[in-house]
Amino acid sequence: MTTSIIATALAACVAGGHVEHDDSVIVLHDVTVSGQHQRDFQMRMSQSAVQVSKEYLQQNFAGSLSQTLEGIPGVKAMAIGSGQSKPTIRGLGYNRMVVSEDGIKHEGQQWGNDHGLEIDQFAIDRVEIIKGPAALLYGSDAIGGVLSLYTNHVPTESLNGNVQVFGRSNNEQLGLSARLGGRSGRWFYRAGATVIDYADYSVPTDSIRYYSYWIRLKNHRLRNTAGCERDCNLMLGYAGYRFHTDIRISDSYAKSGFFANAHGLEVRLSDIDYDHSRRDVDLPYQWVNHLKVLSHTSWQSDNVRMDFNLAWQNNIREELSEPVSHGYMPQPDGTLERRFVKNTLTANMGLSINLGECHELRTGVNGEYQHNRRSGWGFIIPDFKSSSAGLYAMDSYSVNDNLKLNAGVRIDHANTTISNYHDWYMTPTSAGDSVYMERSANADRRFTSFTWSTGINYATGHWVLKANVGKSFRMPIPKELGADGVNYHIFRYERGNADLDPEESYQLDMGIHWDNDVVFIQVDPYLNYFPNYIYLNPTAQYVEGLQLYHYTQAKVLRYGVEAQVLYVINKHWETELKGEYLYARQKSGQKKGYTLPFSTPWSVDAGVKYSFQWHGNTFVGMNAHFVGAQHEIVPPENPTDGYWTLNLSAGKQIDVRNSKINIALHADNLLNRRYYDHTSYYRLIDVPEPGRNVSIKVGLEF
Amino acid sequence: MNNKRIMSLITALIAASALSIVSCGDSDDDDSKDMQQPVISNKDIVENPIDCQVYHRGETILFHYIMTDNQELGAYNIEIHNNFDHHTHSTTSVDCEMDAKKTPQHPWVYNQDYAIPSGLRSYEAKFDIPIPADIDTGDYHFMIRLTDKAGWQQIHSVAIKIAE
Repeated sequence: MTTSIIATALAACVAGGHVEHDDSVIVLHDVTVSGQHQRDFQMRMSQSAVQVSKEYLQQNFAGSLSQTLEGIPGVKAMAIGSGQSKPTIRGLGYNRMVVSEDGIKHEGQQWGNDHGLEIDQFAIDRVEIIKGPAALLYGSDAIGGVLSLYTNHVPTESLNGNVQVFGRSNNEQLGLSARLGGRSGRWFYRAGATVIDYADYSVPTDSIRYYSYWIRLKNHRLRNTAGCERDCNLMLGYAGYRFHTDIRISDSYAKSGFFANAHGLEVRLSDIDYDHSRRDVDLPYQWVNHLKVLSHTSWQSDNVRMDFNLAWQNNIREELSEPVSHGYMPQPDGTLERRFVKNTLTANMGLSINLGECHELRTGVNGEYQHNRRSGWGFIIPDFKSSSAGLYAMDSYSVNDNLKLNAGVRIDHANTTISNYHDWYMTPTSAGDSVYMERSANADRRFTSFTWSTGINYATGHWVLKANVGKSFRMPIPKELGADGVNYHIFRYERGNADLDPEESYQLDMGIHWDNDVVFIQVDPYLNYFPNYIYLNPTAQYVEGLQLYHYTQAKVLRYGVEAQVLYVINKHWETELKGEYLYARQKSGQKKGYTLPFSTPWSVDAGVKYSFQWHGNTFVGMNAHFVGAQHEIVPPENPTDGYWTLNLSAGKQIDVRNSKINIALHADNLLNRRYYDHTSYYRLIDVPEPGRNVSIKVGLEF
Repeated sequence: MNNKRIMSLITALIAASALSIVSCGDSDDDDSKDMQQPVISNKDIVENPIDCQVYHRGETILFHYIMTDNQELGAYNIEIHNNFDHHTHSTTSVDCEMDAKKTPQHPWVYNQDYAIPSGLRSYEAKFDIPIPADIDTGDYHFMIRLTDKAGWQQIHSVAIKIAE
């Protein structure tokens, strides 16, 4: 498979190809306008990395940030219903990847199944994606990779800004986003706000079948998946020649309904008249508010650079649903099923020293403190607090302009303290009495991890070759250590394992890059081994009426490749072919021989784009997206058929005196095909992916 | 190091990793792994309970089903809970006539896990479940959950009514 994708890619390139994809826009600019820039970026780090510009984000706007980034090989959005989706890199998501904003790790309830990123995607200036382990600089969790978001571009003019209005047909989404920024001498400011409102999603089916339950849909709408989002942020800063400091305050609020007929995986009927409006949000629903205060200070001389980051994050999340009795739990009072309040304090200090011409030494310390409190009648994770500290040093050695070596080491220590939790209702025991069952015991765990990484970058002629090998890790989260109860969302009994060790991962990454004026080729294979992957294993056993899922650790082998070929036929036509493949196997434990849950199937994108002027911003593109069938499954998954969709995109830029008007149009799933995404959370209840969707965005930049 | 040596070194690395990928591709695939859910059926028996049956307080419900798996059965569970709020319907397409909605006072809650002797592909479960005399009458769900050793699960839900 691995080789066939590469072969196909190369064959198509040689043949000139009749196919291409819409999001080549920016990459293409890199190739034709700034090939050197692309090369410099490729030479900057030995890991597989992708740079995403603001223009790419704007032109490929697809609802949520993770969905917008889906055009990048290796990056997927794990749809979790409504406008929400979680990013995954090379099949790893949740706590196996890091999302950072201006160098600070974003801390919400990222273990959760049903919420996305609490970040205003319109505030983002650029994105850097590291595919593969990045523990050295990012610490725990950076196993699958890092989604590094930057919002700290310093304005260059006294006043600039933009206003964008956008809409989507599928869920009748409407949105407005405005930014303002300016600079006066060395002082600068930025401010922005975004509001989004959307109705229930529509799917190309009139009913959903789950365990032979038939759920009829009115007007093809997924009941109660409407929602809204409101974001705002303010930044003030001072940018001197050697000294820079800024402070940024942002708040992101989102509210969205859960599909009314299956909260979690339970099929339900309700008295609520969901069908009377498709824009309102009834029970069950969730809301989340993320407040972030971030300060960044740097000082640099000719050979030394110091960075100092401080951040406070406050994440409040609630899930509300109709109270019903379950097993021995009587009908609770009120609708508050779960509430989490998480506070995170982060401090990072970095020092970079140029030692002569060849060596650049980077060293730093990271510290983090987390405090998480729960409430509501549904228990899933215990209260906890954790503190961690990491120390790293890394040397980059430039033998010459074409050959760079790097190596680094890191040590981390973390301490997690879990508070016990007892049910608020009594459960009969085998001894004949009734007790408030303990669902989580007091626990105090300490973890130490030692990680390392080393790599090489080599450029010759049109080639850039990279190799990196490194170890990364992840501290077990309180749910994995301390859960012991029914997860009614997924209808299973989940039991943690207080003896879990930090999960470790070793990975070999390669990068092969070739470009000239008209062709761009990028191939990124990798080989990944976990000696102790933390896996929630479905057992044969029942506990309190539900199937027991037990956290265990297993050896896991994964490998895969992403490949991308771009070809500029002439000044109007461009084509692109890209694809990815991923293999995962559990090599020990009860599920030896099985894959991992939500295994990404192979996919190939073929696209063609016509530009009206050379390097212009007016274009039309078509893209065909092919996804393979996935028969590699673990309980309780179903195999998923392959599918393909046809998508169209177009853009136009109009200059009006000192401002610019940008228009971006996207039509996804033009043929309104009905298909299932194997990596979607709702796949488990047989909800197909959204049908045809046309989105348009008009922006005014001044 | 000169360019040629580095090139060959990198090529060798790439080739080695490509080889290792290809070689470990199929070697450890376990074709014997269980990829099928277990089955709850009425093969060669008259199954019980079934949808829309009416029982009386103080009586017993005969539980009689056949459970099978292609490799090895795991365990099963029987859970009975009220459907006074009409919250779901059964896994079969039959619609039984239901009483009016009401608030539970002393509903029947039955929740028992049962082991299946190890190594079996087929198991016949047959026993009586006594219905307490003091429970609320009305519509109930009789849920049968079955796992196999690999962790696949099958659910069968039956709608019954308990009368005076």
